[in-house]
Parts: sequence; C-alpha cells; structure tokens
Amino acid sequence: MGVEKVEFEDRIKDEKEDIYILALESSCDETAASINKNGLEVLSNVVSSQVDLHKKFGGVVPEIASRKHLELLLPVIDQALVEAGIDFEDLDAVASTYGPGLVGGLLVTLTAAKTISLSLNIPLIGVNHIAGHIYANFIENPEIKKPLLCLTISGGHTDLLYFENLRGYKILGRTIDDAAGEAFDKISRFMDLGYPGGPAIEKAALAGNKEAIDFPRADLGDSYNFSFSGLKTAVMNYVNNEEQRGNEIDKNDLAASFQEAVVDSLASNLIKAVKEYQVQSVVLSGGVAANQRLREVIGERLAKHKLKLYYPPLELCTDNAAMIGAVAYYQYLDRDFAPLSISADPALKL
Amino acid sequence: MLILGIDTSTDNLGLALMEDDQLKGEYNLSLKRKHSEKLLPLIEQIFSLLEIKPKDLEAVAVSIGPGSFTGLRIGITTAKILGRIFQIHVKGISTLEIMAAGVESNYILSMLDARRQRIYYSFYKSNFGNNNYLPEKILGAASAQISEMPDLLNDFKKEEITVIGEKTTEVSEVLKANKFIINKCASEKNIPRAAVLARLGRDYISLGQEDNIYELKPAYLKKPQAEIDWQQKYSNN
Repeated sequence: MGVEKVEFEDRIKDEKEDIYILALESSCDETAASINKNGLEVLSNVVSSQVDLHKKFGGVVPEIASRKHLELLLPVIDQALVEAGIDFEDLDAVASTYGPGLVGGLLVTLTAAKTISLSLNIPLIGVNHIAGHIYANFIENPEIKKPLLCLTISGGHTDLLYFENLRGYKILGRTIDDAAGEAFDKISRFMDLGYPGGPAIEKAALAGNKEAIDFPRADLGDSYNFSFSGLKTAVMNYVNNEEQRGNEIDKNDLAASFQEAVVDSLASNLIKAVKEYQVQSVVLSGGVAANQRLREVIGERLAKHKLKLYYPPLELCTDNAAMIGAVAYYQYLDRDFAPLSISADPALKL
Repeated sequence: MLILGIDTSTDNLGLALMEDDQLKGEYNLSLKRKHSEKLLPLIEQIFSLLEIKPKDLEAVAVSIGPGSFTGLRIGITTAKILGRIFQIHVKGISTLEIMAAGVESNYILSMLDARRQRIYYSFYKSNFGNNNYLPEKILGAASAQISEMPDLLNDFKKEEITVIGEKTTEVSEVLKANKFIINKCASEKNIPRAAVLARLGRDYISLGQEDNIYELKPAYLKKPQAEIDWQQKYSNN
C-alpha cells in the first residue's frame, strides 16, 4: 500500500486550497452520490431511494437492494457530476461508506470508489456511516461552535463524543449493553405497543404520567458509559409483579416512566460532560434524536449552561452521500486514506 | 486493442491482460470469498508488473455469471466504472461460455454447481478448427436437476459431448448410464480462465457486439428469494 501513498503525495492539497470529493453511499436502501467542496459545501447531493421497492416486503430485502444499487450506480454518479458542473479529472479524492450496513450493498459503492481511486490515481477514503449522520449536523449548521459534544443514539449505538474541532472526535462513553433505541424496541415489543419502538413508546407516553413509577437509573460511577439492560429488567419485573398481584397496568404510565428513565440517563451523562469539558455547543444525532421529550429535557438543562442544542432536520436523517463527503474531507486533511484492500464492515462501530 | 478480463463469478478470481493476439499476463487464483479485498490490489499489481497505466486500457471483458451474486457485482461494478471513466468498450460474457471456449470439442456441456443436486448449464456447439472461435449456444443458460440432464440432451445422444466445469463426475455418470458418449477434460480446464474471457471479449467487441455499461448486469437466473416467497404467497390466494 506504500506505493499508492507515495504516488498520491505530490498531489495532496492542504486546507488552503479547494478540495473536491466525490462521495458514494449504498449501505441500506438509498443509492447516493455527492460532490462536496471543502467538506461542508455541498455542490450536488443525489439520492435515489428504493423505499417503494421494499414496501411490499415490510422491510429492506438485501439482495433486492444490492441489485438496485448496481443499476443506479452510474446514473447517480453522472448526475452528481453534472449538477456540480465538474468532471472526474477535477476530483481530489473519492469516498465511500464502508460500514455499518448491508454487506452486499456496501460492496457496490466501495468497489466503485476503489476503481475510481485506481483509475484516477486519487486517494480512497473509507467513511463510517454513523460519523456521516453526525456530520450531517455540521452541513446544516456550519456556524456550530467548537469544541462540542455529540450524543449519537439509535437502535444500534449510544455514544457520547467530544469534538475539539471537526477533524476528529474522542469517545467519552458508550453503552455497555443495549443501545437506547434497542431498549425502546424491546420494551415496546414486551408491552405490545408496536414497531419501531421509539415512536410507539413516545406516543403512549404522551398520555401517561412520567412520575407514576420510579424506575432505576444505571449508576456507572465516574465513567460516561450508559447501560439500559437493568432498566429493561426492572420494567419487566414490574409488569410481572403487578400481573401476579392481579393489578391492571396503565401502559401509558409505564411508557412515560420508562421513557423518562432513559431520557434522564442520557441527559445526566451529557450534562456531566458539559461541565467537565467546557464545550460551546451540543449536538444530537441518530434515530432516537427525534424523541421530543429527549430534546425538551436536554434543551432545558443546557439552557442553564447557556448552551444551544442542535439536532438534524428530518430530511438529513435519511441516508445521503453529502454527509459521507463531509466526513471524508476531514479524513483527507488528516491523510486518513484507505488501501485498495479495504473491505466492507457490516458491523462497524464508531 | 488492450483488453482487461475480470472474472469474480466463482471462487476463482481471474484477471488477464491481452493486447491484440498477445496474452500479456493472467491470474487465476482460488480465493473463495476474498474477491472484494483482492480484486483492486491485484489489478493494480498486474498493471504495475506489466507497466501499463489504467488509462492505456481500450476495453474490458467481465464475466456475468451464473455465479455468486455478490462476487459478480464486484467485477461488474469495476467494469462499469472503468468503462465510464475511460470511455472504453465493455463486454459481459457468460461464465459458462468462458469455460466452453477454453476446450476444443464439437459439443460442450458447461456447468456450475447450483447446490442440492442442481447445476447451472449451457450447451454449446463449437467450430474449434478456426482461430478465436466463438461457441454457439444451443441450450441454456438455465438451472436443472442433475437427473434431468439425459432428457434435456436427448437430441444429442449420438454425438460426442465434452463436459466441463463443476459437477462433471456426477453428470458424466448420469449421462453415461443413459448411453451418452462423454469426454472429460484435463483438470485445469474446469475453471473459467481469465485469458479466455479476455480473448472472447476482444472478439465480440471486434464484431461490434459490446454492452451498454448502463444496462450491464449479472445473469442472475434466479429471482431474489423474498420475491419468490411473495409471489407464492399472493398467487395462491
């Protein structure tokens, strides 16, 4: 791999020059390509969604998604180049998501990016999809002040990150068992409230009393880690005990009390970090960031520290390539390039 | 014409560079599931060893299966991008045809294992006396039970048939038991050779038969399982 780097070296720019990156994304059911100039400036952002194709199956079918990605690959790249008004020769680097996601889909744009890198002799950048969702915030709000904290929460992860600047982050804490979104899903299924669990519990909680049941909050000492499995067990024990006593359970009260315990755990850890790290702003990302009660509680507590809370607008929550291109730019500045042997990692973590 | 042949349809990763009538280099590596990690580094390596730059390429030939869907998409994606960036000819070739074109015989049954006693097959007649011949497909590409093969080939019972590819022992036994005249090939011919792929690609492209890279896709031969299940569920009602 040393060979590639030597050849690139003469051509690698620094941040004073304009840097154009073609970014590609195919980790789930959107085939996407974008051109980013200097990271946060999005010259084009083409997303071809396959949502309708998978609807009748009640979920994304990996093989159908992979077939569609291959079909849409060249059209989305062409459109991204045309809309940005540039050609292949103008590119400084090419980036693709390499995980997490569906392996068959990931391999389509990852292979394409490798071939572009080899063909044009430009650096290849492998981007973590979760980091992409965080950087979607910075595209939308370039004025966000650094340093900052980011709480990224979804069905697959719960991470508290510290950013000195946008060139990298430090993981302060993460869940030691279930992800927050996973806890919502499990409890929702247990209570027969439906799937996905987040919105289902949030809806039931609106009609419930959040102080009805005092569920435990995990105490992990000095760390910034999270834990939700104890809470999950407490909810299940509560329900079983009440049923044995022949008492009727108010699902709305249960949902509201459970949600409050999750929100409180997330918010408390975040505020603890705010105090220690003297940050200028706080950012939420991931599917659970859509929870209104979470935004409300964190917003109120941050207001006491005169800090503003940022969260992504709905349209940037869907997968797109511009967010991958934004991450790629900072990796470019750090010379964080991938070898042509990089493989897709379906279970990639931050 | 400088052509690159790329085959990722089976466990074999095949790469070949051919310039006009000269085979410049060829890899055939049994890599199982490592195609995604190995393909681009190996292309870079073969270019570097032969002192060729990607922009020197004038054409690409790529196998389109049957084979592993994920493997096929890796090779075809690479071919599409090379075709798009350098505006060069691209031709997709059946994996069964690559194997058939590698042997010299009148009638050829080319096969890949489709698991559970099934095979993917094509049946070819070839005019192998000529240089650079192209096999003529008589049957397939399709999948069948091994036990169905005597019926499917019934019209050719009097001809000498060469079997090639995977499952040749099992299929030969079944055909011989039904009084077919069967030849088997030397072991090294039973894989899709990258040099043959490159040669076929060059010949088809010379004849003006190239593919549109926007439409090029694997020969899937099978609908996604979810689609089959869905159709069964709703056509029975």
